[in-house]
Amino acid sequence: MTTTAFTHPSVLAAVLTALPPFLAFVLIMLFLQRHRVLAAALAIGTSGLSLCTAVYLLVRHGSGVPAVQYQAEWLVSGNIKISAGAVLDPTSIFMLCVVTVICFLVQVYSLGYMAKDPGFSRYYAYMAFFEGAMTALVLSPSLLQLYVFWELVGLASYLLIGFWYEKFSASEAGKKAFVMTRLGDVAFLLGMLVLLSHLGNLDINELNSAGVINALSPGVLTMSVLLIFGGIIGKSAQFPLLTWLPDAMEGPTPVSALLHSATMVAAGVFLFARLFPLFSASSTAMSVCLAIGTISMLLTSTMAMVSRDIKKVWAYSTISQLGFMIMGLAAGGFVAGTFHLTTHAGFKALLFLCSGVFIHHYNTNDIFEMSRMGAKSLKIPMFFIIIAAAALAGIPPFSGFFSKELILMQLSGLDNPLWLAAGVIGAILTSYYSFRLIFILLRPGANMGAADRSIRTNSNTHGHHHDSRSEWLMGLPLLFLALVTVSIGFFQDQFSHLLSPEATADAAHAAEHISWLPFLAVGLCVSGALWAWVEYGRRGSAQIGIAERLPVIRALFAERWYMDKIYRWLLDHVIYGGVSRACATNDKKVIDGSLDSFARGAVDSGKILSKLHMTNIQAKLMSAFVIILLLALYSFFEA
Amino acid sequence: MDITNAQFPFLSTILLVCIAGLLGILCTPGHRHSMIRWISTLCAGITMVLSAYLFFAYDKVTGGYQFAENIPWVPSMGIQYFNAVDGFSLPMLLLTGIVFFTGVLAMWDLEYRVKEFFGLIVLLVLGVYGMFMSLDLFFIFIWYDVSLFPMYLLIAVWGSTRKEYGAMKLTLYLLAGSALILPALVYIYTASGLNTFNVLALSQSGLFSTDQQKFLFILIYIGFGILAGIWPFHTWSPVGHVAAPTGVSMIHAGVLMKIGAFGVLRVGMFICPEGWQYWAHLMAVLATIGIVYGVFAGLQQTDLKYVIGYSSVSHMGIVGLGLATMTVEGLNGAVFQMFAHGIMTALFFSAVGYIYDHTHTKSIPELGGLTKIMPRATFYFIFAALTGIGVPCLASFWAELTVFISAFRTYPLYGTLAVCALAVSALYMLRVVQRTCYGPKNDKFAHIPDISLTRSIPRMILVSVIVLFGLFPSIMFDIIRTASTTFMNRL
Repeated sequence: MTTTAFTHPSVLAAVLTALPPFLAFVLIMLFLQRHRVLAAALAIGTSGLSLCTAVYLLVRHGSGVPAVQYQAEWLVSGNIKISAGAVLDPTSIFMLCVVTVICFLVQVYSLGYMAKDPGFSRYYAYMAFFEGAMTALVLSPSLLQLYVFWELVGLASYLLIGFWYEKFSASEAGKKAFVMTRLGDVAFLLGMLVLLSHLGNLDINELNSAGVINALSPGVLTMSVLLIFGGIIGKSAQFPLLTWLPDAMEGPTPVSALLHSATMVAAGVFLFARLFPLFSASSTAMSVCLAIGTISMLLTSTMAMVSRDIKKVWAYSTISQLGFMIMGLAAGGFVAGTFHLTTHAGFKALLFLCSGVFIHHYNTNDIFEMSRMGAKSLKIPMFFIIIAAAALAGIPPFSGFFSKELILMQLSGLDNPLWLAAGVIGAILTSYYSFRLIFILLRPGANMGAADRSIRTNSNTHGHHHDSRSEWLMGLPLLFLALVTVSIGFFQDQFSHLLSPEATADAAHAAEHISWLPFLAVGLCVSGALWAWVEYGRRGSAQIGIAERLPVIRALFAERWYMDKIYRWLLDHVIYGGVSRACATNDKKVIDGSLDSFARGAVDSGKILSKLHMTNIQAKLMSAFVIILLLALYSFFEA
Repeated sequence: MDITNAQFPFLSTILLVCIAGLLGILCTPGHRHSMIRWISTLCAGITMVLSAYLFFAYDKVTGGYQFAENIPWVPSMGIQYFNAVDGFSLPMLLLTGIVFFTGVLAMWDLEYRVKEFFGLIVLLVLGVYGMFMSLDLFFIFIWYDVSLFPMYLLIAVWGSTRKEYGAMKLTLYLLAGSALILPALVYIYTASGLNTFNVLALSQSGLFSTDQQKFLFILIYIGFGILAGIWPFHTWSPVGHVAAPTGVSMIHAGVLMKIGAFGVLRVGMFICPEGWQYWAHLMAVLATIGIVYGVFAGLQQTDLKYVIGYSSVSHMGIVGLGLATMTVEGLNGAVFQMFAHGIMTALFFSAVGYIYDHTHTKSIPELGGLTKIMPRATFYFIFAALTGIGVPCLASFWAELTVFISAFRTYPLYGTLAVCALAVSALYMLRVVQRTCYGPKNDKFAHIPDISLTRSIPRMILVSVIVLFGLFPSIMFDIIRTASTTFMNRL
């Protein structure tokens, strides 16, 4: 890693990637609130620029230009030095490409999706803000800069989830997302503080170097890594901070596609990849990460099995796939985790954008309702959603198959076979719930019931308006993403070569080791899909899943294992009703109470004293006389 | 001690402009409201420009005390009219200028007893300016009291919600503080045997024994600390904020609380450094309690201004924690936090002021759906809330971050607790934003116009200052560290 000057072409390109979106945000907020076309043009234009520079960087560094880093002082205060800059190494460049591609496509898609929304300009301003913050996060050479933009993408997420702020549920979801990720961020910050107090520097490359890792005592290393992992848990919605992500689906669907599946939530996994050498230095921490990833993956898979809300299904699946990536990374598979991140970004964005078309068209999120209204007649999005679901389920030759297989391979290399078993179960469940949704959409069946009223339509402002232009705008990104989903799996070797040339050999070696694994993976996915077909797709099937036959299990899954209830209870009884009330009461009763009574005491004693001066002159003369008499007697007898 | 004398008496000019403004207002007939407003605005504007000029003209390479003016006042008692600025006082002067100017603009629509109001405001700010620039204990005490007394009238006459109670409580608290400071100052003067009130002369080492310093420091710390809202002497602050009218709340929370913290720094820590080191642990404990307690108590409030009041308690706790770390970084962070919190809270109160003036309520349950009606006005509120929860690239973030870093090194436990309070602060601020701004359009307030562009000017100034120092924190840190490194090296 060489440090370079600002004028280095890669650095300039990096600046051109991150800065223009911020400028677009400022310009739109200040001047273009009423100019819808200009606002969108500016946002998409800067996004296109970012995309071009990202691709330029990929081509340049993919062809052998060594990694570079640029840092400038941001602030110096005593021995605290915070720098701003960019690091251009394979990890940042691959993520940069993922982010800019999805950002650009989603913004084009939004032209159609958000066309009739009164907050159109504001929407594009926030999107531009997000893109700027996310690219700057990806490029961060130091952990503190990463934290700064980590918080800023969180802010963007808050603003975009609560985009339709008139809706209580939306603003509530935004708040929940911000506060829950904040909890993780507190841990992250503490982790950085621990590292800072031992190292005095948070440069990512230095943190990953063997010298620094060896300099830390194992206890400190494990503690700081686990604390930083707390931030990942918050951002990537892992157990136990996972319930904000399904609620975040209150935001517009393109936002869910961009922030809450493909990129922002993947920032947690990205951070893991970024600090991979540091994390792998602590085996305890890696086991904890593996456990958390596994629990998250399995829990949310079960939740996805019973949801009727199309976006919620994909949200649960996002958490589950993020958990899967973390499992891959924690099992030591750097390439496996990052490759799954990449493929997942593609097919999950595609899933959301296709679902957006259905939601836009039928004005409901309920899959049964959609199906009843004839979802399968929307041929093109139906086609694409099947491709994406197949990729999610891991069916070859779609992208998900390749990356999942890599992760399973990593898991199989672990000593404890339980992890592989968990991965296998997860893969079956994933395939099951993806195809459950597809079969429900394809086959309007018996189980209509009453439409679930709790599943709200996306926005009241959306009517049945879809002219051909907006359909084209929404269709092109779908087409592109579908092409990516179909083809990217075949670029696995190039990908792993780009990310770490040494790892390719390892992977090849491991593949020789277990030759039956690909067949297992395919078998799993197909069996999951078959299971879904039996329950939902077969002619005459009741369209009631196995989990729904048991009310207790159904309730457990649908209520997210009662996690929300528990958090609500804790919030109400411990925070609001406990500590907070105690503080407020203490202020009113104890501190102010004692002061007020002290003041009252002063006033009252003043009153008593003042009585002596005012009324009843006879009594006073009398008492004066008595006192003088007593004094006289006293002095008389004393003498 | 590096002292550079002034070529031109800028500091006295600031004071004289205030005095001239005050005289101008006094000489204007009471019914000529707009004239009075213009005089105060002019006065505020000139002082703001002057303090900004000083901020940027200060020579960071030379450091030390600059623009000094030293005139013997009562030579027989060693009282000097001694004004100078260093890296600690420059941010405070700039803060005072900005908050004064924006505060006057925010009260533009006042119709009741305009002359008296602006006269008192100018008098108050005169005291504040004097306090920040003076290096003579006698004058520090005088200016300190000049800045306190107008507060009583400003709240009791122009206030709302239990205004007499609030004004009385505040005044009594601050006088109690004065009652602790005065004996300390007299003791310093007599025990030093130097026959001088000069802070720099008194802060040379070896003048006071360790025990004397311990005793003096705790008096000064509590005396000034009351004004800085240290726990458990903070309850005057929310009540006072709530009772005061908009512009007064802005100056009160924005500048006046900083006088307290500045007094601890300039008098307590300068003259009794060993006392400071002895009591630092207590300071850290009280500050941490303040930080945590403030956010939890804020969570329970239903009055908008109470929420901001408690957020001030919490944010001033961060100042206290920074001062208690006994490190350069902590001091830098604390002084930056004084500045950042001043600007932020001024923005908060000015935003709430507009909402309260037009909806006639500060009660959170009665509000809601305001963004639909007044998007600009609520933007300022939301912006202030985001600054308050420490969103990066806004001024407060850097102050909090640097304080946390240094606090974590010196006091790992308190540092951890303070960081944890961040999560709760996000909860209570966003809760308030959600309850007041978001939600469906509220028909009750549908007739209210959005804030006009001219009325937005003060808020826009505050927003731009927050963003400026958020993006380029080094402008501020470079100034502060000239003072903090010298100060810490001396110890």
